[in-house]
Order: sequence, then C-alpha cells, then structure tokens
Amino acid sequence: MRRAAFILVMMLACSLAAHAAVPGDCWALHKHGHAAQAQSCFDGLTQSGNAYYRAEGFWGLEEWEQAKQQFETALKQPNSPALWRVRYGMLFHQRFNDKDAGDLFQEALKMDPQNAQAYLGMAELSTEGFDSKASEYAAEAIALDPKLAEAHELLADLELSNDEPDRAVAEADKAIALEDDALDAMATHAAVELIADRSPDAWLAKIQAFNPAYGEAYVHIARQLELHYRYEDAVTYYRKAIELEPRLWVAHSELGIDLMRLGKQEEPSQELELSYNNDYRDAATVNSLKLLDSYKNYNTFSDTTTILKLDKAESAQLLPYMQTELHTIITTYQKKYRMTLPGLVQVEVYPNHEDFAVRTTGMPGLGALGVTFGEVIAMDSPSARTPGEFNWGATLWHEMSHVFILTATNHRVPRWFTEGLAVHEEGQRSPEWSNRATPEVLIAIRDKKLLPVANLDRGFVYPEYPMQVNVSYFQAGTICDFIATRWGEDKLLDMVHSFARLQTTPQAIQQNLGESTEQLDQQYLAWINQQYGTEAAHFDEWKDKLKALVGAAEQKQYDTVLRQGPAVIAMYPEYVNDANAYELMAEGYKARGDAKAEAAVLTAYEHAGGQMPDDLKRLATLQQGAGQSSEALATLERLNYIYPVKDEDLHRRLGDLLYQQKQYDGAIREYNVLAASNPVDKAGAQFDLAQAYFAAGQKDKAEDSVLGALETAPGYRPAQKLLLELQKPPEKSN
Amino acid sequence: MRRALLLSMLCAVTLQARAATYYVLVAGLGGEPDYEQRFTAAANDLDKIYKSAQGTVHVTTLTGAQATATQLRQTLDGIARDAKPEDDFALVLIGHGSFDGVEYKFNLVGPDVSASELATMCNRIAARRQLIVDTTSASGGAVRALERPGRAVIAATKSGTEKNATVFARFWVEAFQDPSADTDKSDSISAMEAFIYASKKTAEFYDSQKRLATEHAVFNDTGSGEPVRDAANGQGLLLSNFTLLRLGTSQMAANDPAKRALLAKKDDLEQKIDTLKYQKAAMDPADYKKQLTDALVELAKVQQELDQ
Repeated sequence: MRRAAFILVMMLACSLAAHAAVPGDCWALHKHGHAAQAQSCFDGLTQSGNAYYRAEGFWGLEEWEQAKQQFETALKQPNSPALWRVRYGMLFHQRFNDKDAGDLFQEALKMDPQNAQAYLGMAELSTEGFDSKASEYAAEAIALDPKLAEAHELLADLELSNDEPDRAVAEADKAIALEDDALDAMATHAAVELIADRSPDAWLAKIQAFNPAYGEAYVHIARQLELHYRYEDAVTYYRKAIELEPRLWVAHSELGIDLMRLGKQEEPSQELELSYNNDYRDAATVNSLKLLDSYKNYNTFSDTTTILKLDKAESAQLLPYMQTELHTIITTYQKKYRMTLPGLVQVEVYPNHEDFAVRTTGMPGLGALGVTFGEVIAMDSPSARTPGEFNWGATLWHEMSHVFILTATNHRVPRWFTEGLAVHEEGQRSPEWSNRATPEVLIAIRDKKLLPVANLDRGFVYPEYPMQVNVSYFQAGTICDFIATRWGEDKLLDMVHSFARLQTTPQAIQQNLGESTEQLDQQYLAWINQQYGTEAAHFDEWKDKLKALVGAAEQKQYDTVLRQGPAVIAMYPEYVNDANAYELMAEGYKARGDAKAEAAVLTAYEHAGGQMPDDLKRLATLQQGAGQSSEALATLERLNYIYPVKDEDLHRRLGDLLYQQKQYDGAIREYNVLAASNPVDKAGAQFDLAQAYFAAGQKDKAEDSVLGALETAPGYRPAQKLLLELQKPPEKSN
Repeated sequence: MRRALLLSMLCAVTLQARAATYYVLVAGLGGEPDYEQRFTAAANDLDKIYKSAQGTVHVTTLTGAQATATQLRQTLDGIARDAKPEDDFALVLIGHGSFDGVEYKFNLVGPDVSASELATMCNRIAARRQLIVDTTSASGGAVRALERPGRAVIAATKSGTEKNATVFARFWVEAFQDPSADTDKSDSISAMEAFIYASKKTAEFYDSQKRLATEHAVFNDTGSGEPVRDAANGQGLLLSNFTLLRLGTSQMAANDPAKRALLAKKDDLEQKIDTLKYQKAAMDPADYKKQLTDALVELAKVQQELDQ
C-alpha cells in the first residue's frame, strides 16, 4: 500500500482545519514509524465530525468495517470529492477487493478526468495482475501531476520487474528528488543492488533513518528477489520485514508462500495461518492454505535424486513414467551442462489446474503449464488439461532445464535466456516437441512485433498485447536455436557461465558470440524470416483456405478436402491445432476407405507435433492393421507423454503390443498402470499382468496377480489355467 | 455377475434356458438430424446385438416415423399377450426426455408418452423380471413412476432436472460390444455390468472433455424408494441377475447330467469363495490368501474337468 503521495495531498486539502489533526498528519507519523503518535492521531480522527476523516481514522486503526461504513457515509454527502473515492478505492485494494477498488477509481475519473491519484490507483491494480497498462496508468498519473513521487516509485518497481535496472534507478531517483522520504524508491534501489550482487546496506540505512521499523521496504525487496528467481534470498528479506514489523501480515503471508515454493510445508502453514487469523485473507493466503490442506491427498515418492508428489488418485498411473523420465533428464543435463545438482529435485504434479495456479500466485505468466522455484517444480498433471493440449514430458524437460540453469547461475540469469534455453531443450529432446510457430507467432513476425533481445524480458512479465508471452517464449527459444545453429550448442553453455559471472545480456552476447545485441537481432530476424517469412506473409491467405477446407469437410465434400488439403498444409505445416488440415484429410481418406493414405497423413500430423489422442490411436490402429507393430508401439508410447491417465485402452493396447514383442518389462509396466487405473475389467487387467509376470519369470508376482483376477472373477477360465500352471511343482533337473 | 445366492441363481439360469426374452428398443424424436441419426444408430446397434443373443429372443425396434406412442403401445400390448411370467422383458428408451417437475415424458414422433403411461403399459406384461433402461435427458424424473417389484429401472440422469442431452446410451451400446464389460468373465453381460460400464464411461467422457457432468446414471431394482448409483442394501440384485447378452457357451454344461456332481461342487466352491471374500476384512491377510488360493485352485481343477 502506498501512502506517501496522499499525505501531501491531504495535508493541503485539509489545511482549513489548522488546529485539528488531518489524515495526512496521521499517515505521515505512521510512515515515519511513530506508531504511538500515529495511533493517537488516528484515534482523534475517529472522533471528527467529518465522515471522511473518521474513515481515514478507522483505516489507520485497521478497523476495516468501520472505515468502510464511514467512507459510505462520506460519499453520500453532496459534492463529495473524487479524492475520497480514490481513498476508498485504495482501502478496498488493501483489503483484497480490486473489483470495487477499480470501480471507485473509475468513478473518481468520471468526476475528475485529471485525477492523478485515480490513475495511480489503476496502475497499482494493474501491477498486481502483470498488466502492461500499469506503466501507462503510472505515466498518465505523472503527466497529470509531475510531482507525484509515488507514481515514479511504482514505475521504478515496474522497470525492475522487467529487468531494466538502469531505468528503475532513474525512476527511483526522480521519486527521491521529489520527496526525500520516498522509502519505496529507496527499497527499489536496495533491490537493484542486491540483484546485481552488491551491498544494499547504504539504501537500507537511508530507509532506517526515516523509519527504523519500515518492514514494507523489505517486502518490496523480497518481491523483486522472487521475480528474479532468488527465492532463498527473498525468504531472508521477508524474515527481516517481520523482524522489524511483527504485525506486518502481508510479510507473513508472502514468506509462507515463498517457503512453499522452496518445498517446505510446516513453516508455511504456520505463517499463512498467522496471517489468516489476523484478518489478512487475500486470495493467495486463503488458496495457499487450502492447497497445504490438500497435500494429505498426495503421495510422496523419494529416491536418491528426486522427490515426486503425486495425487493419490493418479500416482500409480504417473509414477512409472515421470520418475523414469526425471532420471533420464537428470542424466542428460548433467552431461550436457557438466554439473551435478546439489540436492534432490522435487516435482509436484497437480491434477487440478487451480491448485497449480495457486503455486504461481504473484508470478508472471499465468497460463503456464509448469513453474520452477529453484529445485522445486510445480506443474499441471495431464489430467488437469483436456487430452491433447498438454505434453507433460516436454514440460518436465523445460522445467528441469530451469533447475539446472538456475543452479548453474546461482539464480542470476535473465528471464529470456532461461526460458529460451528451456524451450530449446524441449526441441532437443524430441523434434515433435520443438518450438512451433503458432498463429499468434506468425502474426507477430509478419507485423514485426518481435522484441530486441536486450528488452525481451518485457515480453514475459508485462506483455503489451494478448499472447505476447507466448510469442516471447517462441522468440527466446528460437534465439537459442539460432545461437546453437550458427555458433554451436556449446555457446549456450558458455552464455550460462557468463550469466553466472553476472554479465548482462549485451555483455554475454558480445563475449560469447562476438556480436552486439543489435547485430544479433539483425541476424536472428533474417534467419527467422527465412524460416517463417513466407508463412507469415501468407497467413491470411492460409486462414481463408483452411476455412474453405473446414467448410468442405463439414459438407463431407472429401474430394475437395483431399484435393486442396496438401496445399493448405504446405502453406503452414506447423499448424496442428483445432481444425487442422491433417485431421480433415485423414477424415477424407477414412471416408474413402484408403487406410494407407490415412495413415500417411496422420503420420505427418504426428511428426508435425500433433497430439490429439484419438488421432494417434487411430494411427496406431492403422499401423497395426498394416502389420507395423513397432510403429504402432512408438505411436502409442507418444501418448504416454500426453495423457497417460484415465485411459484403459491405451495401456491395454500398449501392454499387448509390448507383450507380443516379448518386451515383458514394458508390458508389466503398462498392465500395472492399467490395473491401477480402476478399469471396468479389473479381472482382465490383473490377468494380463499375471501373464506378463509369468513370461518374465516372476512367478510370485504372477501368482499374486492371477489370484487378484480370480478374486474378482472366480470363473475366469484363462486365469484358472494360469493358476494351475503356476501351481505345478518345478521340474526336477537331473 | 455372481452373487451369494448361487443356488437360486442356478434355478433362474435353468429357467432362463427355456424362457424367452422380449426386447423393445425405441429411438425417440431427435429434433435435429444429428440427434436423429445418433439415436437411430444406437437403437439399430442394440437391435443387432440383442438379436444375436443366445436363447429365445424377440426384439422389436422402433425408429424414425415408427417411433410413435401408438406404435409403442401396440408393441407392448403384443408382448403383454405373448409373454409368460417366466420370460424376461427389457425396454430401452433412447432419445430426449422432459420433466416439468411432476411428470416425465419421453419424446416421440407425435404425442409424447409419460412415465406413468409407460408404467401402465409395462404393468400389463406378465414377465416377472422386467428391465426399463431410460437413457434420455431428465430420465431420473421417470424412475419413481416406473418402479415396481420385479422391475429394475435404470435412468441416465439422477433426476428430472438434469435436462441436457445425454451420452449414456452410446456407452450402454458399447457395453455389449466391448468384452471388458464382462467383468466376472462369465461369458455374459448382465444389466448391472452394462450399467457399471456405461456409467463409468460416461463419467470418463465428461472428465476427459473437461466438462461439468450433466448426467449421473442411477437405478432402482427393489421396486420402491429413491434410485441409487451403487449396489448396496439390496439394490442391485435383480440387475446383477438380469442377463442381457450371452457371449459364450457357459450354458451347455448345465444341461449335461453327467456333470451335475461337478457342477454342484463348483457351486459349493464358488459359494465358499464368496463367503471368504465377505469375511476378508476380518481375516488375517495370510490366512485369507491361503484359503482363497486353495479354493480357487480347487475351483480351477473342477472347471478343468467340466471342460473336458
């Protein structure tokens, strides 16, 4: 909550009441740490004959409901000024109701379109939502009132969030020049120093000179540290905030959330409950407490390098795949990045996207599939998403790349680079998982909206247009692809080391690539245009042709679909989303009964990165029909990275194929997953498993499984035969 | 499905060998070509499946312009004339339904038919064991009106207020096409197995589509009270014993006098296994496993002899 700017305004506004305290006096006392005097001052305001004063008084005493009542009374007065609405809005904002806060700011702007405070209020709201309008609102506030120090403080904070420390410092200095007690600006200065691994002490001393107990400065610093991946350091600063201001509940709450990000449970629970019990009940606090409570529904699986937290309902279906994949990733990255992780990696997998979203509270990029906090990864479970829209394997490779890069750089890495490298790694793992140019990417290329690499972080944190975050992921990933192509994969590792040595993006690029950022931008744009320029230039034409193709398919005019489909695919082969030409053509070939052509187009879809389970299953069926068991197996195994849960058919088919190919370990894995997925045919699943164990020579397990099958279906004849076979005494060898 | 009352079931099975089953399948008014096609296809699929069932079966299927209240009444009147008490009767309704808070109606070409009218028509049929499967929207609103001792009623929705078009019928049909629906491996699909299969697949359908489920199938087979979703407290016995489709030749041994002793032994063992399973929670796990293994091995040997 920013209070300083209002103090001066209110002191001026209330100058008529020369002898009585005015709200600005009280807030000034509060800001400077004179708690007892501030309390007495606010007490005095509550006795005022002015409802607005009373509202400010109760607010200062943290008697929220009474403050709201008095604001309501004040606003009913004829000619109540816009400023009162702004103040009431700020109270709502402080009490976690941004909807009403926004309405009041807008109301104030209708009354007084030149109200800088209202614009500042709007900027505050937008900041928390990582909305790029935050900067616009703050700039508008400054334009209307160039002496509004708080707006400069906010801009400083935004610039640092966008990883623009020089600009942040400039804005902070403007705030301090306007008001020598611009404590939040000083906190931004301190954060800039810390992020650059310099001592913040000089700035902290300045803050303490004004108010030795100003905990909010430390919260401010801690938030910036979190945004720069410095989760451990953020804990230190939240703790300092609490030490200075034990009743600063926001610090307790955010400490709890940060500790959760580091994989802790007990202390976060205590901190969050403390906040909650002291009436600090914002959505993040409440949802984090609910999430902690839901952890009783999770199983934890640990081994020498990993900890997996999986929902009990699906843990048996995910564990065999995720644990194996994690080990593969760790081995691969250790070799590639020439390092070993210092501790265990914890991966939390949430079947409810909202639970995952709680873990990203206060972080940019809310549509994310996964998020990494040092050595803790939180990610969606496949079951949190519609089948086909999410590949957990790609997400895990992506997030694990962050774990290695954050560790290698001691969390000193620009966002664009760690995200870009993570996207690049997905493509390294599988070409089908590689960076795909989605329609919004083509439009951004066509409209020349890609950012200079030196400013690319801005595209991730405060996007300026819808989907800019997605475009930025693509751009960062393809910059890394370009570097690997042009200079070699090792240069990416060299850049990691540069960032670890605290080099900036321009320095790291200059040193490792021998180019300036401008030169890199130029070469990269030429390269990307070579790759996607034609597709981007003909995007609208492609869209029209696809639309016509969809229309023909709806009319079942398959001749038209099959005649025109190849040209539509050729114009934009990466497009595998809704109503793609591959699927339309496959439908046409199916209607014609041309299994070979249908398989061919579905194979092309698969290789282009198409992941709809029904399409891939259909392809596997066609491959099996053509006697291509290995290809069918490979197709179905892809699905284990897409939607391995709640799909009996997939695991039964995979198990059968593996069993037929005498790959008994794989068959056992698949039948185990099948049996664990609460199938309709429990006995059948247990029997299949028993057979696989038997074939693998694991007779004890085979007997357990066959007994499981017969317990469900005692008259199940194939199982009875296997049981009798298992009961035979071993043949004596001579 | 097998339950503890094996001897009485055996009697029922023996009777079934001689008795007939009357199936009436109705694809109601679709309203739109897509629904019309879907309902008709489901009814026709079931028609083929039930006609392929072993034993004496009579299948009447009403689709398209034939799906009228008059035609339905005539069909059921015909069965009322022919069916004997030992016969089975199954009515499957596919399509849209409506519920106004008091009365459920099944949408047909021309005038609709209400649940109470359906009940009256079915009550005239002498078959002691009856099954009505109402797969329509709002079908939960029909259950109470259709309930009667000796009649199992399945509805695709838990109440009349679940009014969206349903997908239950699709999975009801699939239950007879997918061998995994035969969960007790008895080479037959009972109404309970089909209900469990269709309910589970319906839930999975909504789950995989990330859509809020707008249908929750229920049943009642005790003839009174609220419909339920799971077998318990007497609910589920009739559905479990109501075989809708025989897949194999499990019936043949029962007709061979030479094997009656073995069959009796088999029944004893099956009863013993059921009892053991019932006592499982209270038993020492190792002891349970040993006794279960012994009984299952014995049962397997008996079956082996029966199969020879």
